[in-house]
Amino acid sequence: MATAVTDILPYPPPRQREENTAWLGMVIFLGSWAMLFAGLFFAYGAVRIGVHRWPPPGLPRLPRLLPAVNTAVIALSSVALQMGYARLRERSSARLVATAFALGAIFLALQGLLWVQVWKSGLVPQAGPYPSVFWGLTAFHALHAFVGVVALGVLARRIARGIYSPARHLAVRLWAMYWHFVGVVWLVLFATVFAF
Amino acid sequence: MDIQPIHPPPTSFWRRYVFSTDHKYIAKQFLWAGLIFLALGGSLAMMIRWQWAYPGQPMPIYGSLFLRKSGGIITPALYPSIFTMHGLIMIFFAITPILIGAFGNLTIPLMIGARDMAFPTLNMLSFWTFLVSQALMIAAFFVKMGAASAGWTTYPPLSDSIGTPGWGQTLAVMAIFVTGVATIMGGINYITTVIRCRAPGMTWGRLPLTVWGMWLTAILNVLFVPVLGSGGLLLLLDRLFGTQFFIAGASAVNGGGDPLVFQHLFWIFGHPEVYILILPAWGIMCDLLSFFSRKPSYFYKGSVGAMVAVTLLSAIVYGHHMYVTGMAPLLGKGFMTFTVMISVPAEVLFLNWLQTMWKGSIRLETPMLWTMGTVFVFGLGGLTGLFLAIVSMDLYLHDTMFVVGHFHLTMAAASFMASMAGIYFWFPKMFGRQLNQTLGKIHFWFSMIFIPLVFGGQLLAGYSGQQRRLFDPYQYTFLRHLQPLNQWTSYFAFILGAAQLVFVYNFVVSVFAGKKASDNPWEVGTLDWDTPSPPPYHNFDVVPHVQRGPHELGDPAVKKALGRDWIGQWEEMPGEKSGQAAPKLAEAH
Repeated sequence: MATAVTDILPYPPPRQREENTAWLGMVIFLGSWAMLFAGLFFAYGAVRIGVHRWPPPGLPRLPRLLPAVNTAVIALSSVALQMGYARLRERSSARLVATAFALGAIFLALQGLLWVQVWKSGLVPQAGPYPSVFWGLTAFHALHAFVGVVALGVLARRIARGIYSPARHLAVRLWAMYWHFVGVVWLVLFATVFAF
Repeated sequence: MDIQPIHPPPTSFWRRYVFSTDHKYIAKQFLWAGLIFLALGGSLAMMIRWQWAYPGQPMPIYGSLFLRKSGGIITPALYPSIFTMHGLIMIFFAITPILIGAFGNLTIPLMIGARDMAFPTLNMLSFWTFLVSQALMIAAFFVKMGAASAGWTTYPPLSDSIGTPGWGQTLAVMAIFVTGVATIMGGINYITTVIRCRAPGMTWGRLPLTVWGMWLTAILNVLFVPVLGSGGLLLLLDRLFGTQFFIAGASAVNGGGDPLVFQHLFWIFGHPEVYILILPAWGIMCDLLSFFSRKPSYFYKGSVGAMVAVTLLSAIVYGHHMYVTGMAPLLGKGFMTFTVMISVPAEVLFLNWLQTMWKGSIRLETPMLWTMGTVFVFGLGGLTGLFLAIVSMDLYLHDTMFVVGHFHLTMAAASFMASMAGIYFWFPKMFGRQLNQTLGKIHFWFSMIFIPLVFGGQLLAGYSGQQRRLFDPYQYTFLRHLQPLNQWTSYFAFILGAAQLVFVYNFVVSVFAGKKASDNPWEVGTLDWDTPSPPPYHNFDVVPHVQRGPHELGDPAVKKALGRDWIGQWEEMPGEKSGQAAPKLAEAH
């Protein structure tokens, strides 16, 4: 039924096309997931706007120093990953991505330390909305950070072993986007939950 | 350099029939999953209708099948879980998979001339994630203390661990979260596919309106389903780990925790959701009315613009669900204004549908009947929506059966009838066989007559002051006189339910033994009908080169040159210059 028409068209090479398509998919996914976090922050804002004092009287404040250090750690991790992505064809790339992975792991470890500290200070999840916000938001964020750290570990191993390929370029590019997203969410989290 | 390369079809059983990445096969999987849950949700509806007609009396047939413990009676403990599960199942696990999962998957690649979705593996994962959510939903029926029972809106504090203890509610909220993830996976695929995988010459202005509807729905899905996800997530934390986001008592003790926050999150999602369910239906209606009136769709750009406008407006009207929550009057007025504004683009679409049919040579085939029925019930639903949009009127009608009648006409009846139009229309392409048209018409007329009667009865009951969700409305003396009305509504509902068995029979028999369908039984020119029925694994041997818009019907010049009243989007008119649009498209990449 089809009239004879041609498949040959002045398109960019398929590899580049596929990469652009994957990039678009990732952008849409992150946009969507940003809405999920926006919903969580909205809930936090709405709860907080309804009370006069935050933290509510009788509850200790959340620590600030450890989260501030952690903000620096995850920011450095993002920078290292971006540098590793920029020089993916060079040998130094493997070390940079490995550094990003290590910093991500340190972030998670410090996060664990923070949880222990907060739990011991009496801010258990059941103690009211103030600790609820802390536990809910940091736990959900840490889940995303964990996924990112595992991915960075796998990528670092692969880069250390093998040579450059377009498929790897795409993988690093997309995971870097994801990792920056996790970092930005943490930044907002730090600013709203801990700093102010 | 193909647009998408041709992959050979998989040979292993698992990759072919279970974990298939073929969009046409996934569409069928979604269709079956959705239809089975549609039957389940419909059965629950019959139980609700029985309860409102004869509260406290043993239910025939169902009683002896499912309610043996209570002697066939719907108990007060069971009743809330029936209407809760009915709502959740119908919205998330029946209409969504049929309208978006099945038709989105089937039509988008075929209509834009792609060989598959942009991310076939993600597509497969989307279906299997969806199936997990359905399994969670079914599991909720079998746990201690029964299934979810806080209403489909799952408002806390009713949905908190104090209001509805037990795993039933928890599993249902989990199911909503998981199905949301599946929807987002699908949405990412739909948006990307339409942007990246259109055949050469398939400009945005040549997209069939079905694809426009699906694409806009996917955008709304991707943006707003995660907001419901965030609400569900916090609710799960409250239920499982004792956090206090939504527990009202907490505000007195430690400050904070507010059940209203959930309502905000729910409706920020919930209002776009009603357009998520109707936009694909609108797109399908625009196309089908044109196809069966043998005329171009009237004011194509207006229809697209109206759908885009509705998509944008739908994001800023959610407050009209919360007029009675103590919202500031000024805010209420703002939401009211935006809500009423939505009727303008909706009206544009409605007039376009009527204009498309006007002076057309209408073919009253089964899909056309269903589409015209959709126009009618959607009109009714839309008009009753105006009552609820106005604050002063809503204060009286809020939480009455009027609301139930309204959203059933728009979300349930219109989406259902458009789904049926789609099933009768694309069945030949999906399965390579025809549904029986006579049975289809019987199915249509029974549905067409009884749908307005059932939901009209609800509107009347609500206007007379009957609250929704009452276990036994006649405990209130002022509602006693409504029992005959409710009984008649229930009789109509039972007839409507029984009429669906005609469809079940027709569908199952036709899938396996229906008459073989030709490649283009409806004689229309969109790219999906440029393939064999059913299409091969890669859809198009040669990706078509699109020449024109989707509704080139009834053109005298075409009739003169080709001897028929339609021309395919892929076809060149004798003597017409071709290939004009290809370089333009390539620039975009």
